[in-house]
Amino acid sequence: MPASARETSIKECNQAAGRTTDGNQFLTFNLGEECYGVDILRVREIKGYSAVTKIPNTPAHIKGVLNLRGTIVPIVELRTKFGMPTVEYTAFTVIILVVVRDKVIGLVVDSVSDVLNIDKKDIQPPPQFGANVDVSFMSGIGKSGEKLVALLNMEHLLVDGDMSESSVPTGEA
Amino acid sequence: MAKTALVVDDSTTMRQMVSFTLTNAGFIVVEAEHGKDAVSKVAGGAKMDIVVTDLNMPEMDGIALIKELRQMANFKFTPILMLTTESAMEKKQAGKDAGATGWIVKPFNPDVLLRAIAKVLPA
Amino acid sequence: MSNDFAQFQDAFFEEAAEHLAAVEEGLLQLEQHPNDLDLLNKIFRSAHSIKGTAGMFGFAAVAQFTHKMETLLDLLRNGQKAGSPAVTDLLLKSTDCLKTLIESAQTGSGIDEETVQRLTADLAGASASDAQPAAAPAQPSRADRTYTITWTPPDWLFQRGLDPLQIMKELNDLGRLAKVVLNTSRLPDLSDLDPERCYLSWEILLTTGKDRKVVEAVFEFVREDSVLSIEECETSSVKPISHSDVSVSRDTNDEQCVEDGEPTPLGEILVESGALSRDTLDKALAQQKRVGEILVEQKVVTPQQVELALQKQRQQETAVQAKKSDATSIRVDTDKIDKLINLVGELVITQSMLSDLGSRFEMRQLPVLLERMAQLERNTREIQERVMGIRMLPIGTAFNRFPRLVRDLSAKAGKKIQLVLSGEETELDKTVIESINDPLTHLVRNSADHGLELPEERLDNNKPEIGTIRLNACHEGGSICITVEDDGRGLNREKIIAKAVKQGLIAEHEKLSDDQIWALIFKPGFSTAEKVTDISGRGVGMDVVKRNIESLGGTVSIKTTTGQGTTFTLKLPLTLAIIEGMTVRVGKETYIVPLLSILESIQPKQGSVKTVVGRGELINVRGSYLPVIRLHEVFALQPEHTEPTKGILLILETEGERVAIMVDEILGQQQVVIKSMEQNFRKVEGIAGATILGNGTVGLILDVRGLLEIAQREEAVAV
Repeated sequence: MPASARETSIKECNQAAGRTTDGNQFLTFNLGEECYGVDILRVREIKGYSAVTKIPNTPAHIKGVLNLRGTIVPIVELRTKFGMPTVEYTAFTVIILVVVRDKVIGLVVDSVSDVLNIDKKDIQPPPQFGANVDVSFMSGIGKSGEKLVALLNMEHLLVDGDMSESSVPTGEA
Repeated sequence: MAKTALVVDDSTTMRQMVSFTLTNAGFIVVEAEHGKDAVSKVAGGAKMDIVVTDLNMPEMDGIALIKELRQMANFKFTPILMLTTESAMEKKQAGKDAGATGWIVKPFNPDVLLRAIAKVLPA
Repeated sequence: MSNDFAQFQDAFFEEAAEHLAAVEEGLLQLEQHPNDLDLLNKIFRSAHSIKGTAGMFGFAAVAQFTHKMETLLDLLRNGQKAGSPAVTDLLLKSTDCLKTLIESAQTGSGIDEETVQRLTADLAGASASDAQPAAAPAQPSRADRTYTITWTPPDWLFQRGLDPLQIMKELNDLGRLAKVVLNTSRLPDLSDLDPERCYLSWEILLTTGKDRKVVEAVFEFVREDSVLSIEECETSSVKPISHSDVSVSRDTNDEQCVEDGEPTPLGEILVESGALSRDTLDKALAQQKRVGEILVEQKVVTPQQVELALQKQRQQETAVQAKKSDATSIRVDTDKIDKLINLVGELVITQSMLSDLGSRFEMRQLPVLLERMAQLERNTREIQERVMGIRMLPIGTAFNRFPRLVRDLSAKAGKKIQLVLSGEETELDKTVIESINDPLTHLVRNSADHGLELPEERLDNNKPEIGTIRLNACHEGGSICITVEDDGRGLNREKIIAKAVKQGLIAEHEKLSDDQIWALIFKPGFSTAEKVTDISGRGVGMDVVKRNIESLGGTVSIKTTTGQGTTFTLKLPLTLAIIEGMTVRVGKETYIVPLLSILESIQPKQGSVKTVVGRGELINVRGSYLPVIRLHEVFALQPEHTEPTKGILLILETEGERVAIMVDEILGQQQVVIKSMEQNFRKVEGIAGATILGNGTVGLILDVRGLLEIAQREEAVAV
């Protein structure tokens, strides 16, 4: 299984970095030509793509659920979420497992690229695009050298993503 | 005039035994099940000649009761004996700090009880 | 005066029995709430009471044994010792032992000395330190002598209700007070004098035949807080006040700092005292080797052994950590553990046979391999069952509260009711037991209130005056069956129909089977009681009962005969964690259907599925029409078959409603471990949960009720 060889535990890296990152370290990944970043303190691990089980009657970007060492983890197709066309999965396609409000969620991305330190002063508020682009799940644009990174606001991505807010009454918990 | 005693213990058996001994010795006994009960019984200003109280009790324990009584004008100088066990000697210190006059170590017999009372209560 | 307390012995035994029960109950609760301080205090008080009172009657064995228990309990409630299942177990066993000790004191029955000794030792062992103060050797009594006593009481003497005069009187009773000198040197000016404080001290010359101990005892209540010296003297001269001898000072700060924390390391002390510089110490410490390294160098142990030992140490550390955060625990019969250990032994044997076979495998050995594999499967399944069995408790723990409840209910309702329990030993999952408490309570209340008649009414109907409620539990296949049965008036068909029509639940002349009518009482808001009582009958309840039971993956059914009574039958899975499921396929997707809800599966004949306007697709199964739900439609999937005659229809039952679910194929039957979807995602309509299939992928478990709701909604939209 070539995918499992690339399974990396970012957790230790997180712990080593401790609180000194101050939320300024980002795991960056690619979707097509664009580069995105997610706060590294949220990243639990990265694993190669493996088949998921579809969940009926959920939005298209909810790809399905995955067995992560015995717990059920939902997988979000970020391309679909961002309104980009889907592509064939390659050997670089990975799932980034992030923790948002105590829940573990997998994000399918084209490839991971780097861990970047981005200074607060190099982060600008998200630009106001045209009305057809939703920027609410972005927390800002980071600059690292010549590279521009769209930093994701996971909390917003979540509420928007129909993940925890249930659309049907759940009855008693 | 007969002397009065307030007996506080959550164990019915224990309470009855102390009361029995004191009644035979000529006391008029008022019984209470725990600290709160005791406080409520003397809150009206009743004066007692002596108080005999257990330490381990629900609601309000003996230490808290002693502290409470010492705050009341009618019990400021009243002899208060606490019933303790050998294993609870640190409780003894806490009791003294709270204002207990003396202690009776369980198990005791009526003679021990009456002797301890004689030590602190003017005849 | 002799010991007059004997007459209170009976009262003591009565009270002791109560305390014992309280201790036992408390300990059992403590297993659920190991950190409940109130609970610990309660248990401690009960034990303390037994000890104190037992001593009064001279039941030394009882008092001593309880003392040991009390010591351990005290450590627990002070947090000096962490509670653990082992400690609770020890305390429970000790409670049993104490019971026999008290019985022995009461009836003179024999006791198992060995058990007492063993438990006493165990209790002492579990308590960190349990030192008994050694009794002071008695001093021989001698003839008259003279003591010089100097006494300076604490100034707050009066505030504790103490009176120096009393002490003088007591001394006087011991012998002859030859001389009493009052020392007033500490008296302040009148303007500074606090009348509630004692500024006086005394020098006393006492001649008595009593022992020095007896003299000291006079000051018992003040000795520790006074400056006191008692000296025996030959002459009658009065010495000046000295502060030597028995005088007690309470300044022990130096000692305390050692007691509180850990002792200071040697090096630190040396640095502090200036004998060593910090630099030298650090260098010396750097040279220090770990025990493991030293031992390896000396070739006493191998590095592997050290590594193993270190691993064990880490495990122990983790275990200690885990213990700290442990919230609930469970008492497991050692028999169960022994059986489990045996099974694991078998598993190991099978495994070694298999690996042996694998290392030199030839094709002709295939039958042997298959046989071994089958054995492995048997082993695994049995271990799984046994492990689940650890969570199994007898349902009696849930039944136990009902005698009291029924007693109270009968008094309140003015009815005569007897409760008959059976099958209390039937075991089921601890979580299930906890979850059925409320539904069961409601059913029993319902029977007492609605089911059973008043005594007069029963007599009028030639029934025994006393009504009976039977609670029974038994195993039935892979599930547990609990029945609540009463011999009351039975459900009233007409009343239920009238009520349902009034509530708009059914049409006025709708033809309904008995079962369908009885099922109406589980509808929300339904209650037929003519008057609302405070026992039940506010229209909340029966629907909640049904919902609760179904949320556990169970079913409720009713059998009733007018005038003879009603039986509610609850069918529940033995455990919540594992269900027996049927795996089915629709297109490329695999789903699991709880076996408990499947009545049968059929391949419909041509034309048996009809579309009825307003009610969607229906299928005629032996005379009754059931709605058909195409799983691929409600889940928007690509199926293999769209023709019901080519696929398979599963006839499912939920809440008394039957429904046919269409799938492509039945794959098989297997036990599945239920996993939560909500943990990382959310509830999905039509899905009850998820599980991990044999190939490691996730399989979804169907929620029949949810499917029905989706189908009904879509039907409503379609019309």
